[in-house]
Amino acid sequence: MNKFVVSSSPHIANRRTVSGIMQEVLIALLPAVIASVYFFGFYALFLELLCVGSAIGAEALYNKVMKREQTIKDCSAAVTGLLLALNLPATVPFYVPIIGSAFAIVFVKMLFGGIGKNFANPAITGRVFLLLAWGALMTKPWGSPIHWSDGGAFYYFRCILKGNSAIQDVAAVTTATPLSSLTQGGYAGKDLLKMFLGATGGSLGETSALALLIGGVYLIVRRIIDWRVPVTFVGTVALFALIYGGANGDALGYILPSVLGGGLLLGAFFMATDYSTSPNTKTGLVVFAFGCGLITSLIRFYGSYPEGVSFAILLMNILTPYIDKAFKMHPFGYVKQKAGGQKK
Amino acid sequence: MEKIALKLTFKRGVHPAGNKNIAKDIPLSEFPTPSVVSIPLSQHIGAPAAPAVQVGDHVSVGTLIGRSSGFVSANVYSSVSGTVKEFITKRTAIGTKANHVVIENDGLYQESFLTPLTDLTAESVKARVAEAGIVGMGGATFPTHVKLSPRTPVDVLIINAAECEPYITCDYRLCLEKTKEIFEGIKAMMVALGVKEAYIGVEDNKPEAIRALSVFATQDIRVVPLITKYPQGAEKQLIYSITQRVVPEGALPADVGAVVDNVHTAYAIYEAVFLGKPSFMRAMTVSGKGCAKPGNFWVRNGVTYQDVASYCELLPETEKVISGGPMMGFAQSDLLPSTGKGTSSLLFLTKEEVAEGDKPISACINCASCASHCPMRLMPMFIERAVDAEDAAAAKKLHAMSCLECGCCAYVCPARRPLVTSMRRAKKMIKEKGV
Repeated sequence: MNKFVVSSSPHIANRRTVSGIMQEVLIALLPAVIASVYFFGFYALFLELLCVGSAIGAEALYNKVMKREQTIKDCSAAVTGLLLALNLPATVPFYVPIIGSAFAIVFVKMLFGGIGKNFANPAITGRVFLLLAWGALMTKPWGSPIHWSDGGAFYYFRCILKGNSAIQDVAAVTTATPLSSLTQGGYAGKDLLKMFLGATGGSLGETSALALLIGGVYLIVRRIIDWRVPVTFVGTVALFALIYGGANGDALGYILPSVLGGGLLLGAFFMATDYSTSPNTKTGLVVFAFGCGLITSLIRFYGSYPEGVSFAILLMNILTPYIDKAFKMHPFGYVKQKAGGQKK
Repeated sequence: MEKIALKLTFKRGVHPAGNKNIAKDIPLSEFPTPSVVSIPLSQHIGAPAAPAVQVGDHVSVGTLIGRSSGFVSANVYSSVSGTVKEFITKRTAIGTKANHVVIENDGLYQESFLTPLTDLTAESVKARVAEAGIVGMGGATFPTHVKLSPRTPVDVLIINAAECEPYITCDYRLCLEKTKEIFEGIKAMMVALGVKEAYIGVEDNKPEAIRALSVFATQDIRVVPLITKYPQGAEKQLIYSITQRVVPEGALPADVGAVVDNVHTAYAIYEAVFLGKPSFMRAMTVSGKGCAKPGNFWVRNGVTYQDVASYCELLPETEKVISGGPMMGFAQSDLLPSTGKGTSSLLFLTKEEVAEGDKPISACINCASCASHCPMRLMPMFIERAVDAEDAAAAKKLHAMSCLECGCCAYVCPARRPLVTSMRRAKKMIKEKGV
């Protein structure tokens, strides 16, 4: 008698897999990677590969040491590594990404049980960790976009090779980031197009709003991320820029620099949308993204740091379980339970 | 025509590939009945029927062989003429053991039917439906006379011709080939229920069926095109799609004034009321790339899956045999079970067809896809966690009991979590622990 495979229904499934989702995110980050190389030269690519490699290596090693099933094939470590790289300035020495990636993977993701179980976004926590550990390296010399024509493609390689004093030299030629200009009241808004395309100071993946938008829209179209998160996040920041600008006599002047500058788009499209660390209902996502936008704006305008996206997302990550509790989905045909347990 | 302009639907759900082209254009033909049939005495939800014949008895087509043993139970009739050979216990398609009547088919098909009804009243139709052993023929096999006796007055009858499961086309063929009879059946049902309004819901991937049915549509019996989306044919979803009424949790459709029955059930009622023919035969789809001769057949109860596989030429590359549709049907380990009143289809699926289901199982990544596709708005990932923690109270609080087991969650899960299994475990746990 024939024997056939027996398993529970459903017997068919769609094509989406975990690794497939992660690969889509990597594809969506490609424009930002290309932009980073275009503006900062090959040292940017070197940092990105280093980050991805260390993240994958750290996860593989952890699984091996802890005798767990190998999970690097799901590509999520690669996504974490690349996101962390895009959060780094073009001037960091090579050991920074290695330590940052390993920290993000081991301490933020794997120790909590691996994919889906971490409560904070590994890339963001990795960045915040680096910010606290090497504050100067992570913020001071942002690195300005280079000119390829006079051998600039390898400019940052040469600086790093020359050692610490050279980085100081780099600092001398760097531009202020749009956001620091903004809070210092000196931002004129004449460089908006530059900001949109990416020819300004900033971390590797943050500078080109265009590249991030291409990737973000791709993720929304492919239904990898929920549009509510970036739209609410960015919308909230824009709203606060309007209010803050209005109070400072320039209601509209602050909106575009606030939206295009800093890590907002990278955070809103790629980090706040992380599945594990964001709420599970649509309402919850809107609340979460609003919180991200609110905290970002407060830090930017009133805090001591010029940028607040990372801290905002991290704080909201922590609140996610509570948001999920507060904004539960009610089932189809939900009947409110009366106090005595009696159904209405 | 204005009444079919608007396409209706419910919220959430999934869009699996229809795969209906394999069998859709093959007209219904009578399946050659083998020389021996084994008819299950439990072809319905509820108490199994009690044997009404003895070994050695001569039976005709339409002889009562199993007597209903309660209100929620159903009569079983012989599908062939011949001699009762023995009673055996064997596995049914849903995995339970049941008593089967084995009848040697004399090939004469002598018929002995009930007398057709002449005077249609609510009572006479209900009595006839009960007597003829009619059960929900969409696959749920709930005794139809129970559904036609709602505890509260109803005002609308909904006929489910959505046929939202992939592959299956028997209801579609029925709509094309037995259109007038279906309407006669619906009229009898309306008499039984005392309702003045009926709707036939058909998914819009079957425009030919919508057109055929629309010819007979009236002010009272309307044809409603529905958006093609799974599970459009789920009772509560269908009621919402057509009437926008929401069946409260734990309540029955009748509580919102609606009764839903399958289109094949309407046809069976036509046969029982106007021809006196009890329920012993049904339209069934045989499909999937694992069979060389797919089609739609009139199959007499008691034909074994082995008989179907032989006639439709089962191919060696068949990996899964499914009784019912690929979303909610039952995978069979062998071909021993017999067809019954609820066997809407038998699918022979190759590895390639179920391969998409062979995604690697990994940890839940919290993407919430399961929740955003659940037609009942449940949160399967949280219910799964409650089940794993053996926390029945938490599972109940997450409304696990409302799960339809439609499979949308598992269908979309990128980590290929066995979510439907978790839902079933949750229900079992809640019942056992009595929370």
